[in-house]
Amino acid sequence: MSTHTKKILNGYHVVFLAQSAMIGSGILTLPRELSSVGYSQTFLPILFGVFASLTLWPMVWLNLKYPNENLFRINEILLGKGLGKILNVLIILQFTLFIAGIINKYMHLIQSTALPEQTITKPVLLFLLLLIYIVNGGIKSIARFCMLTFFLTIGIFYFTYWAVQKGDFSHLFPLFNFNGKELFEAMGKGYLAVLGYGAIMFYFPYIVDQKKAFKHVLTGIWISISLCFITVLISVMYFSEWQLKHIEFSILNLLKSGELSFVERFDIIGVTLWVFLILTTVAVYLWSAKEGIVSLFSKEKKYYIYVLTAIVFLIVRIPFPQEFQDKFFTTVNYIAYFLIVWPSFLSIIYLLRKKQVQP
Amino acid sequence: MKYKLVRTTKVNMQYKKAPTVESVLAEETVKALREITNHIQDAVFKDIPTKEGMVTIIHSNSLVEKRTLQEVVLVPLCNHIHQIHQLATPVDLKEFKGIIEKIGGGHTLLYFHQTHQLLSLNTYSAPTRTITDTATESTVIGPQDAFTESLDTNISLVRRRIRNPMLKNEDRILGTESNFRISILYIEDLVNKENLDTLKQRIDKVHYPIFTDISMLMQSIEDNPLSPFPQYYMSVRPDSISQYLLDGRIVVFMDNSQAAIVGPTSFFEMFISIEDYYNRWTMASLLRMLRFFGFFLTIMITPTYISALVFHPELLPYELLLNLQESRSNVPLPPLIEVLFIELIIEVLREAGSRMPTKVGQTIGIVGGIVIGTAAVDAGLVSNILIVLVAISALLSFLPPIFLMSNTSRFVRYIFIFSAGFFGMYGQMLAFAWLFAHLLSLNSLGTPYMTPFIPRKATDLLDSIVRFPTAYLKNRKGISRAQKK
Repeated sequence: MSTHTKKILNGYHVVFLAQSAMIGSGILTLPRELSSVGYSQTFLPILFGVFASLTLWPMVWLNLKYPNENLFRINEILLGKGLGKILNVLIILQFTLFIAGIINKYMHLIQSTALPEQTITKPVLLFLLLLIYIVNGGIKSIARFCMLTFFLTIGIFYFTYWAVQKGDFSHLFPLFNFNGKELFEAMGKGYLAVLGYGAIMFYFPYIVDQKKAFKHVLTGIWISISLCFITVLISVMYFSEWQLKHIEFSILNLLKSGELSFVERFDIIGVTLWVFLILTTVAVYLWSAKEGIVSLFSKEKKYYIYVLTAIVFLIVRIPFPQEFQDKFFTTVNYIAYFLIVWPSFLSIIYLLRKKQVQP
Repeated sequence: MKYKLVRTTKVNMQYKKAPTVESVLAEETVKALREITNHIQDAVFKDIPTKEGMVTIIHSNSLVEKRTLQEVVLVPLCNHIHQIHQLATPVDLKEFKGIIEKIGGGHTLLYFHQTHQLLSLNTYSAPTRTITDTATESTVIGPQDAFTESLDTNISLVRRRIRNPMLKNEDRILGTESNFRISILYIEDLVNKENLDTLKQRIDKVHYPIFTDISMLMQSIEDNPLSPFPQYYMSVRPDSISQYLLDGRIVVFMDNSQAAIVGPTSFFEMFISIEDYYNRWTMASLLRMLRFFGFFLTIMITPTYISALVFHPELLPYELLLNLQESRSNVPLPPLIEVLFIELIIEVLREAGSRMPTKVGQTIGIVGGIVIGTAAVDAGLVSNILIVLVAISALLSFLPPIFLMSNTSRFVRYIFIFSAGFFGMYGQMLAFAWLFAHLLSLNSLGTPYMTPFIPRKATDLLDSIVRFPTAYLKNRKGISRAQKK
């Protein structure tokens, strides 16, 4: 029934796959997305962590019922072939657009800081070629790359030392000076930064120790949440409320505060090193989308990845006006929330149709 | 030669006196043997009268030393002929290919005229080099002997270090045209059987006419032959090879090749010198860090110079930037061309230095150091800061004890230079990501190349960038997947 029986991912792989898929371009703008609640945003990442843990539970529960199937197959089993396939196409489409959104955002950042005199065509092409190279190695290669990325990029935090030094501790006092609407807005915008743990539903069949997968993914989630928390914490200390609202890439400004005698603008190194984080996130999504196409046609072909990447390239390079692009990608991002709650619905369907859909 | 002629005529005369059925048959066989071996020009035929009648001995003059022939063949033949029958192995007279192979392999064939029997004795005693110290992997502390080009000498050098009955060597004949011997060494109760089977399968699949060095064999049995990184450890030091054998690795020797290869290995092991274990652990750790981080520095220094000058001048503090610009004020070339120019000059110097006869080689130092170094700056072709950077990165590239890795680091540097030249720091980071993605995807005999970064065992970390004191290093490495801990 299933072709995915090869178990290759151990505990560490799962931890870092979950962790790296979450940290991508979202965290760069997180303080601004949360700025509607002002200085009280400090505790929001922790709230996100609780939410993530809660929504993770139905995902793993459902996957444990079908240990050899990914979400695409589970959709087909639970909803029937036709409806499941339509839904899968939508998920693949959403992933492709999501990938394009992440790359688009990062490339514009690169263009505005590191490569102001070039168009982004060639850098995007190079990025996508590397992405294909990584994804072609399979999920285990991606997992290894995620582990390495974590250890390679964690050093960036050292350069926020000066920001902490210059920051004001008193900004951190919880004032709760916001209303429900503002909180809702902040949560709606900010939660995007911690999406990505949902990819567990696609690489779950490859995990060796599936019983412990929940614990491993949870570890990954909380590593990422603590990174987000530290980022928000330092931003709150360093910036004024006005700055929080208006500085787009606040992490860059944190890095700029560094004072080394031999490097003036550390933020350029930081932004370019960020390509590792973008690569890991996008690689996990692209791999999942590829798995989706495989389940759609029930055949494994090499060219799926090339086709997907070509589509991503076209979306990134279509000359839409900036406002439209922003709106478009934000809408796409909101659809991603659907994927987080979807497993809960599926679980209910599973409970209702339990007898008919025994694996 | 003259002596031989006289002898044969005498013998012929003897036969002519009393021609029997046997003597005619024998004469025809010898004639046939001569015809078979007619293209081995140094094959010598000698007829020797013994107690069992006439015996023709055939051997290759260049592969068999006269003294060995005397001791092994002639003395027993004339005095204790029963010894010959005990020691020699019979050869089928009808199988011509086998006969030629025996003679070509340094054996001596004995043809007994009366019994019409062909025997062979191993008298291979081709001239070999004496054991000298190594020129390529020298150390200050530790044994100085190195392997030679003779397979038997090499194996004896290992066996005298590991007196373990479980140390096995398996011979294979390789090279579809050249037919030479390789030997696979391993310790039977340690080696991972899966690894051993993989390696044997790969060696059996090899079809190549001739290997003139083991590095060629290495390239045809690697996991990823297209990668710029060597996926086997290669050494000419018996102490280092023995240590790997005791760790449960598999070693392959080849006749006529000085080095031996070890598998599986990891990226990090390319930066380990056996001297690290002879040094105090503190100094050894420092040197290891230098070599390991030196690899990343050597591929990053000059590309960073390019991206800082072309794309991100704001990266540098004002004074440093001023300095740089001042030193470049006379240089007409853009930084990318400037770096490529001087890097290629270094490459040319290195290549010329290694190809030239030693006596002329000294001139290269003077030409390279003074003329190109100082004069290029004075002439305004390159900036003097770049000269310093290139010199440092060239020196750093020679730090890895494995020369193949040092070559690789130089090749990888060009990828970084070009990506920095076109996309600045972003290009450099992309190249960096490629490098890691590539290294992570590599395997050596099926085990990940990036151990101990992805440790298979926690104890691996005790012998990684920091070399812990010897008392902690009792465990075998996780990468060898040895049968015993």
